Amino acid sequence: MFGDPTLDINTANEHIPPNHCIWAKNLLEQAIKGFDDDFKGIIATHGCDCTNREFDIWLECVNLEFFYFLNAPLKRNEAALKFFIDDIKELIIQLEDKFNVTITPAKISEAIRLMNKIRNLLRQISDYRSNLQIKGSDFHSLVKSVQKMDKGKALEMLKSKIDELKSHNLQSINKLKKILLTGSVIDDTEFIVFLENLGFHIIIDDLCIGTKYFWHNVDEAEEPVKALAKYHLSKPIYSTKFPSYKRFEIIKDLARQFNVDGVINIAQKFCEPILYDHPYFSKKFKELGIPYLFVEMEYNRESYKQLTTRFEAFKEII
Amino acid sequence: MSAIKKKGKMLNATNKLKNEMGRHFLAIEQAYRDGTPTAWATAGTPVEFLYTMDVQPMLPENSATISAALKKSQNFIELAETEGFSYDLCSYFKTNVGAVLSNANMSVGGTRKPTFMLSSDVICDTHVSWFQVQAERFNVPHFTIDVPHIVSNTTNRQREYFKKYIIEQLWELLDFIAELTGHEYNPEKGREVALNSYELGKIWQDVFELRKNIPCPVSTRDTFGGLFPLFTMTGLESPIKLYKHMYREAKQRVENGIGALENEEYRLMFEGIPFWYNLKFFSNLERWNAIIVYEPYVYAFTKYTNPNITKEMVINNPVESMAELVLSFWYIYDLETRVKMFKETVKDWKIDGVLLHDNLSCRPNACGMYDLKRKLMEEADIPSLVITSDMNDPRKMNETQVLNQIESFIEILRERKKS
Repeated sequence: MFGDPTLDINTANEHIPPNHCIWAKNLLEQAIKGFDDDFKGIIATHGCDCTNREFDIWLECVNLEFFYFLNAPLKRNEAALKFFIDDIKELIIQLEDKFNVTITPAKISEAIRLMNKIRNLLRQISDYRSNLQIKGSDFHSLVKSVQKMDKGKALEMLKSKIDELKSHNLQSINKLKKILLTGSVIDDTEFIVFLENLGFHIIIDDLCIGTKYFWHNVDEAEEPVKALAKYHLSKPIYSTKFPSYKRFEIIKDLARQFNVDGVINIAQKFCEPILYDHPYFSKKFKELGIPYLFVEMEYNRESYKQLTTRFEAFKEII
Repeated sequence: MSAIKKKGKMLNATNKLKNEMGRHFLAIEQAYRDGTPTAWATAGTPVEFLYTMDVQPMLPENSATISAALKKSQNFIELAETEGFSYDLCSYFKTNVGAVLSNANMSVGGTRKPTFMLSSDVICDTHVSWFQVQAERFNVPHFTIDVPHIVSNTTNRQREYFKKYIIEQLWELLDFIAELTGHEYNPEKGREVALNSYELGKIWQDVFELRKNIPCPVSTRDTFGGLFPLFTMTGLESPIKLYKHMYREAKQRVENGIGALENEEYRLMFEGIPFWYNLKFFSNLERWNAIIVYEPYVYAFTKYTNPNITKEMVINNPVESMAELVLSFWYIYDLETRVKMFKETVKDWKIDGVLLHDNLSCRPNACGMYDLKRKLMEEADIPSLVITSDMNDPRKMNETQVLNQIESFIEILRERKKS
């Protein structure tokens, strides 16, 4: 699911206090209003305190056939892996029971192979982004589309995109400041467009709708459920997991590898995991001499404009 | 607010709480003098295992409440904010950051550098982030216990592997402590500590049982302060004596028909962490002959609320029992169980109205509160009021507004009593 920054929040406010994650509230608002798409259910994963607790509210007031809370572990060790495998297996059992289907290891392996192909192509396209052959906003939009669509169709779409990009050269991007973008969920492509209009190019990111989606592949030789669990526990760590400070190392390495002009860290309003990490990041980037901008923002497009001065000032100093 | 101000009665035994707190702080001082390992622990972690392993626990949350009670928390919080920590983050956390930065003494909420830190996400992820921040600053090891989150549709089958995961981590914790301190796990001591912890929790529950009586013999004057040993000293023998003393005195009151409040009229429940910087708020309720007779937050820390966990299990299998207890902790109940428990409690404790603290610092506790309120009102016909404030940050309490809300709420209760 993605948020909708154009949505007015009304009903969700009857369930969630005003100082709770605005993005999660946006999703609940959509869910209560009812989905246009043929949604059958939701699988929510252990994220932050707000999203975890809101799952029960979804159970109370959202009309869907299937609900599962996947306890993606906080830690990354053998015990966590064993637990995560158990929880994924439970998800499979509940899906099979609910929809009267059979999810065989062979089917999971098939899906893994397909997703790995998609990840390979997305990595290639991300390289085009880094080589200034595709705009950050177009790339963001592409990843978002892949996440939403049928994966067979996504593969075909990406193949054609690569053919198109081979001969692409966007000289205009070269003039922009090269930025690493990180932070909370950033699912509004318009925000990336907004940054581009201010003179930034997102050359690399540490985002869910970005590198985290295709960082590496699932091991196709491993038993599929175990392979999936291992894959998720070996992705670049999220701010919601422990130790989240490791994110700094990942971001620092990316910043150096892509020779960025600066790092922008965005916290959606009340996003606690990002708020806790920010002072540490700020201190560490300062020590390294890498320009770093931290911005807290509302989840609506009107609020972007209010931030213009801060981004412009940052651009001036880098 | 035209009512005459009332004076509630505190138990004599509660006065001895200061001695217990003093004992705890002395034990910390002694540990530093002797070179005994020390650990910071978050609420909800099994402090019992620290005592079993001869590690002296320190709970920064409790220290933060002391800062607030002494009107020091705001300064500490503002200091943390100058370090870049947001206005919207947990006020316990910021009190602790500020207290450490100020080198504050233990008597005003300071907490010294420990040998290691122990956190858990059982209550909130903030605990984990908080200790990550401080472990990095102090450069000390940090162990965290990941507790799977139980939701309203979690099945018994899931609970079984949740428990397995926690058990494995608890053994890892004991190995971690042994490696760091050289102290080996002693099963005999483990049983002794577990028994003490069980006794402590159960006596506190007995005190709560007495509060079912009309008039209620025990008020928040006793419970909010009396809570301290449940966090910091669970597993020791000395606080058991204090609680037994409290129980005996409360029982005597019941037998003599004496209440903690003269002319008790309205029996209330208070959900959430209190406003530690403004405990007089609770005494103010006495103006309207109202008394808090149950606080889920306080009851939660009796720990032994799962009827399936017997004394024998606790003594014979402290690790396995602890895993089950962590999963059945009152404070983290899923919404469905929370509503069910509230309805039962309201009935058993003969509660007239429920005050729900929408705590700006504790999002996990505040989340679901609006639905809880609606269900209590619609399904159980219990008047409920949401108060928005903060547990440790006085800037976030508008006292006049809150008291006005309470006054109107009492008016509703009064009208209901008439009809």
